[in-house]
Amino acid sequence: MNVFAGVGGGAVGKEAASVGGGALLELTPHKLAVCHLVQIFAPPPPPQAVVAAPALPFPFESVAHHNRLGLFLFALTRSCEDFLEPPLEELLRQLKAVDSLVNGWLCQQLTSTLSALNSPDDLFNFFDKLRGVLSAPEGANVEDEFLDPNSQLGVFLRCCILSFNTMAFEGVCHLLANLVEYCNSSETSYDFAEDEAFNSEIEMSNFMDANIHVRDAIFDKYSKGYAPESHMGEDSSSLVHAPTSLHDFDEAIFKAEDNPDCLRSRWQLEAYLNQQADILEKDPSLVPLNSFNATMSQLQALAPELHRVQFLQYLNALTHDDYIAALDNLHRYFDYSAGMQGIFSRSSSSFQDIIVGKYESALLCLGNLHCYFGHPKKALEAFTEAVRVSQMNNDDSCLAYILGAISNLLSKIGMSSTIGTIGSPYSLGNNIGLGTPLSIQQQLLVLLKRSLKRADTLKLTSLLSFDHLSLAKFDLKHVQRPLVSFGPNAYTKLRTCPADVCKNLRLSSHVLTDFGVDGLSASSDNGSFSTSWLRNLSAASNSWCSSSTKSRKVLTNDFDSFHFHAQPSPIPAAVLQLAGSAYLLRATAWEHYGSAPMVRMNSLVYATCFADAASSSELSLAYVKLIQHLAAFKGYSAAFSALKLAEEKFPSTANSHIQLLKMQLLHERALHRGQLKIAQQICDEFGVLSSSVSGVDIELKTEASLRHARTLLAAKQFSQAANVANSLFSTCYKYNMQVENANVLLLLAEIHKNSDNAVLGLPYALASQSFCKSFNLDLLEASATLTLAELWLALGSTHAKRALSLACQSLPMILGHGGIELRARAHIVLAKCHLSDPKFKVTEDPCSVLDPLNQAVEDLQVLEYHEMAAEAYYLKALVYNNLGKLDEREEAAASFKEHTIALENPYNEADSLAY
Amino acid sequence: MASTKETYRVELRAAARQLGERGLYSAAKWAAELLVGIEPDATPAPSAAMDTPSSSGSAASGGRLLHLHRSGGSSFRRRLRPGGGASEAGTPLGGVSYVSTPIPDDDAFDVGADKYLLAKTYFDCREYRRAAHVLRGQAGRKAVFLRCYALYTAGEKRKEEETIELEGSMGKSNAVNQELVALERELSTHRRTGAIDSFGLYLYGIVLRDKDCEGLARTVLVESVNSYPWNWSAWLELQSLCTSSDILNNLNLKNHWMKDFFLASAHLELKMHEEALKRYERLMRVFRCSDYIQAQIATVQYSMRDLDEADMIFEELLRTDPFHVDSMDVYSNLLYAKESSTALSFLAHRVFLTDKYRPESCCIIANYYSLKGQHEKSVLYFQRALKLNRKYLSAWTLMGHEFVELKNTPAAIDAYRRAVDINPRDYRAWYGLGQIYEMMGMPFYALYYFCKSSYLQPNDARLWNAMAQCYESDQLQMIEEAIKCYERSANSNDTEGIALHQLAKLHSMLGQSEEAAFYYKKDLERIEAEERQGQNFVEALLFLAKYCKNIGRFEEAELYCTKLLDYTGPEKETAKNILQGLKRAQSGYPSMDIDDFAM
Repeated sequence: MNVFAGVGGGAVGKEAASVGGGALLELTPHKLAVCHLVQIFAPPPPPQAVVAAPALPFPFESVAHHNRLGLFLFALTRSCEDFLEPPLEELLRQLKAVDSLVNGWLCQQLTSTLSALNSPDDLFNFFDKLRGVLSAPEGANVEDEFLDPNSQLGVFLRCCILSFNTMAFEGVCHLLANLVEYCNSSETSYDFAEDEAFNSEIEMSNFMDANIHVRDAIFDKYSKGYAPESHMGEDSSSLVHAPTSLHDFDEAIFKAEDNPDCLRSRWQLEAYLNQQADILEKDPSLVPLNSFNATMSQLQALAPELHRVQFLQYLNALTHDDYIAALDNLHRYFDYSAGMQGIFSRSSSSFQDIIVGKYESALLCLGNLHCYFGHPKKALEAFTEAVRVSQMNNDDSCLAYILGAISNLLSKIGMSSTIGTIGSPYSLGNNIGLGTPLSIQQQLLVLLKRSLKRADTLKLTSLLSFDHLSLAKFDLKHVQRPLVSFGPNAYTKLRTCPADVCKNLRLSSHVLTDFGVDGLSASSDNGSFSTSWLRNLSAASNSWCSSSTKSRKVLTNDFDSFHFHAQPSPIPAAVLQLAGSAYLLRATAWEHYGSAPMVRMNSLVYATCFADAASSSELSLAYVKLIQHLAAFKGYSAAFSALKLAEEKFPSTANSHIQLLKMQLLHERALHRGQLKIAQQICDEFGVLSSSVSGVDIELKTEASLRHARTLLAAKQFSQAANVANSLFSTCYKYNMQVENANVLLLLAEIHKNSDNAVLGLPYALASQSFCKSFNLDLLEASATLTLAELWLALGSTHAKRALSLACQSLPMILGHGGIELRARAHIVLAKCHLSDPKFKVTEDPCSVLDPLNQAVEDLQVLEYHEMAAEAYYLKALVYNNLGKLDEREEAAASFKEHTIALENPYNEADSLAY
Repeated sequence: MASTKETYRVELRAAARQLGERGLYSAAKWAAELLVGIEPDATPAPSAAMDTPSSSGSAASGGRLLHLHRSGGSSFRRRLRPGGGASEAGTPLGGVSYVSTPIPDDDAFDVGADKYLLAKTYFDCREYRRAAHVLRGQAGRKAVFLRCYALYTAGEKRKEEETIELEGSMGKSNAVNQELVALERELSTHRRTGAIDSFGLYLYGIVLRDKDCEGLARTVLVESVNSYPWNWSAWLELQSLCTSSDILNNLNLKNHWMKDFFLASAHLELKMHEEALKRYERLMRVFRCSDYIQAQIATVQYSMRDLDEADMIFEELLRTDPFHVDSMDVYSNLLYAKESSTALSFLAHRVFLTDKYRPESCCIIANYYSLKGQHEKSVLYFQRALKLNRKYLSAWTLMGHEFVELKNTPAAIDAYRRAVDINPRDYRAWYGLGQIYEMMGMPFYALYYFCKSSYLQPNDARLWNAMAQCYESDQLQMIEEAIKCYERSANSNDTEGIALHQLAKLHSMLGQSEEAAFYYKKDLERIEAEERQGQNFVEALLFLAKYCKNIGRFEEAELYCTKLLDYTGPEKETAKNILQGLKRAQSGYPSMDIDDFAM
């Protein structure tokens, strides 16, 4: 049986490739220690031929025990928790956890062997012995136990031996000196605080502290009899001590080295950087800007040719909104590496064609940077240049990505159709051979389709999925017109096509099955498994240290159980993220089409299944949708308690989604309660959130003025409200935001209705209705129909019949999918229609009026919507009056009074911003 | 005047000796060079000066030192003090009154003198650790300094070795001077207790600089130069820490005459050429024969593009001191700019014979090859120069240029980028980066680099021109921005005359003929002043002729047309046509506009 034969098969090839390229492992004391352990794990076969049955090597009691050490060693060579190798102390602690069965025999063995290496010759002999591990003995058959030279550990061992063989004598001296340091560091018994938080900064500072202790120990050793040193500064950077006399330091020309800063292997470093990049991308708030920069510059000082560090610095600056630093680091990274170290960092050594390399990727990044910081013009310039350069260099895959990025930019940033056609001289749209200039939307569509086609032919599955998502997003909000229409007879159906959206969403999920084809998202062991295994181990050993009273038996299997998240997922996080966004987009689509249950379901799926891979902003978006749903169906108290929970997870200062949601909820509640001042205040805050650059943060700006208009409406400032709404309409029109226009038109209708200008309101309501129809906004359409009914009703009792039929028409949709506010409104309208119908006799059919009214009252209580509740009670009182039920009438009237007073004297202004 | 010079002489003599005794060779060299550079007194009274024991020292300091130790003597120094270090305030040089600084007394080390002597010889033989070992336990300031300095030097030497030994696959490991921590600890203690002299402070300053404590390093170095201003190395270290003129102006420096040297050099480094030149010229009045000042002036003049003047000075310099290598790389750059390959080859040969393993020498040879178009060889020599000194800024930049010639763009970008990272104020390298990206058809990307370079050198027309060309390029076509850049260029004395012409062209392209005419006229004036002719001239004339005719200024138009008649080519015919049209218009015939059709 070959021990660990073929473990990490793919990775071996990669490692070997890097060895072939001349990049050897650099030997460090830690690697020596691992080598020694490997030797214990798989001792060289005895010189006499196989006599006994394959027995376990000496110290091991069971196969499980043996395997555990193997697993430990494997993890040691793969883990990427930090870029520096752990000190001996740490290694011993971990080893103890593995070794608890044989009473620390391994630890003793290891320390004694390492400290016995005193001269270059000892090192030489050490490696000579190692060589024996790899060579199969004469006459051994396959059944015998020896280390497969092609296994992970075998390759590691071979690299170490090769590295030693090519080492110059100076190198051996350095290794020896480092080894002495390494061993010394464990002799001193300082307390190495273990921290579980994955924050390399803390680790670093611990490390530095440890260094101080080591230094102290060395000084103690060499300067016996001196007055105690006093620390002058607390920070570790200035190792200022004040010995009274120093001359005898010269007695021993000791290597005043810190604990040797030994880098891990290149593979581990890259895995470490990838991991950090993932964390940055997922949740930048987890990574403090400056300390991360400090860590990175330390790494850079240790490995100046590892340019990807600069890329991480760029990412760090980007996610922390530091424009200048991001720009500087971006240019520096590409200047040094010429893009050759790859921005798509998943697999740098293989898939040469995927590393788009060179400078077009620099431009792609630059464009994304400008896009991120809200400079659409600059971003476009960068992208057009990127297109040109990648066409020049025949870099098709990069071109596909660039097209994807451009369409992302176009969809994200509102570009008015009148100004700035893309890339002034080089119009991308014109490239397709049409003489007529295209509108932005058409260009976007063309670009998306081209990107899709390229991604498909080049088998870039991630991009393909991304493009499908973008297309779905596009179809959701835009009517697809044919690019060329011949003559007046050309039939165009001016409606969005939900089927297309669904199709694209379904296609985008194919990434889950196809990701292996795409080099970028190829699943490979990225070391996270080993990392978390080791971390669990140290956690286990820690608990063992702290509570030594625990029996040994309990502990033996403790660290064998992994945490759930430590299991390596077969699907890379990036793929999961893409697949997840399909669900999120599905939720958004249903939001538009007006099906609340589907929104909730899809958000729930996202929040439960994709939470691990999701970035904090996307996950919070799912939460936002769920909470919005709660607010619409369960009222504010439920929503606010949910919001509290969400805020614990995502601090609202850092997460814009949550912050927005909070303000939305507060605003709506204030409007319902009639606290207009507060509503206005929140509106103003909304206005501040968005960037002042035109075309950027369009959605936020639209929402802000929509809310502003609604506040004015609630304050009965009709003409002002109408002004705001009108200007909003023209902006939306300018930026081609048709879906928003439906909303604005409805609002205008409401404004006219409330200002008793029903005739004026009618066309707006009708327009809104037709907009809703063409964009399939069913719920909004129902609501527009309801408003239309109200408008007819306001025109006089002669229209009551028509109003009733309209209201009934909208009822199925509203009762099926609408929130409680809409339902209450529908009920009231229904009651009003009946009441104002001259032919309707209350006494004949009191239920048809009272039932909806009661339902409405119930709902409105939850919402604390005083104005409408008052109206409902008023109607109820009227009905009871007609029916001659005086007690009920009085009761309803009292409630009416209560709500009217509450509306006019909003109580508790102070706490209404709290929840 | 003479007495001032004498004071300088006395001070420098003592300084050269004191610096030499402490192993601060280059500072001692500098002081000695300056000492010789003082203009001899007009009054022939050298014998009187020779008689005083203080001046005899410069001849054979070693011997005198020996003598000094034997006699255990402070007698010599006691006599010296009234002459050199006394309270006599220096006569103002150029109207500024200087603070005189007393020459510090050397330690009277009766006890450790012999050991010091031994240590110094070890030090001279480059056995630094041995030297430090000999001096252990010695408490005298001089001994402490030499011990620390020896340790520092030993550490530096080891560091250099380690950088080579530790070179790994991911670049150099961080070889650090192992002695820094111990040295910093010791020196800071001494500084706190006041048991440190200015040399110790200097050493403390460089230790702090190596540990990246720049602020404190600056303070300490200022302390050092204030108490002992003749240590040029300390000034140089201070200068390297002054990366902006703000920092420079905020230094609290005593007004010693050495400060003038410092300020001049710092100004040169910060590209404040006029100030530097003024200061050097003032210093020249006293130190008339100083090679150092000559070379610095030449460097300033080269930086101000006054090539001929600088050439003369360098030539003179080489005549008086044929084995001079120090600032000869600047000279080679100058010769390169003047494209005089013979002189450059001569220079290269000379420095090669003097010392071929100096970075300057390699750089000169590389320059020669570059001029000859042999760029591979040139790169080879630049690489050698960089091997000798990895922080040799101009070599990185020049190597970048060579790689550009070799069409190896990634390597060129890499080289430039390294130069920029060594000194982010090197506008040439930023400019080079921009140029490469522009050449690669990435004008938008290049703009970032041109912005950087013109930010650092806002009065350089070439940089603005480059930026404008990016904006103007086919890909970007941002004409308004290009015009803005060209305007900046035209305002900052664009010698190549690109800006005016382009401005005129762009304006006429935008249909702003009035502005176009304005710039064409200016361009015309410039060309005429420089007595050059060419296509631009013709173009300007043609435009102006048409423009004047269109707005009815016929005489002017006629003038331009007649000028045009001197040229051959199609323009001549056009000019003839215009002239005919003019005549018709002037004679009252209704304009037939034939000429307009002709255009």
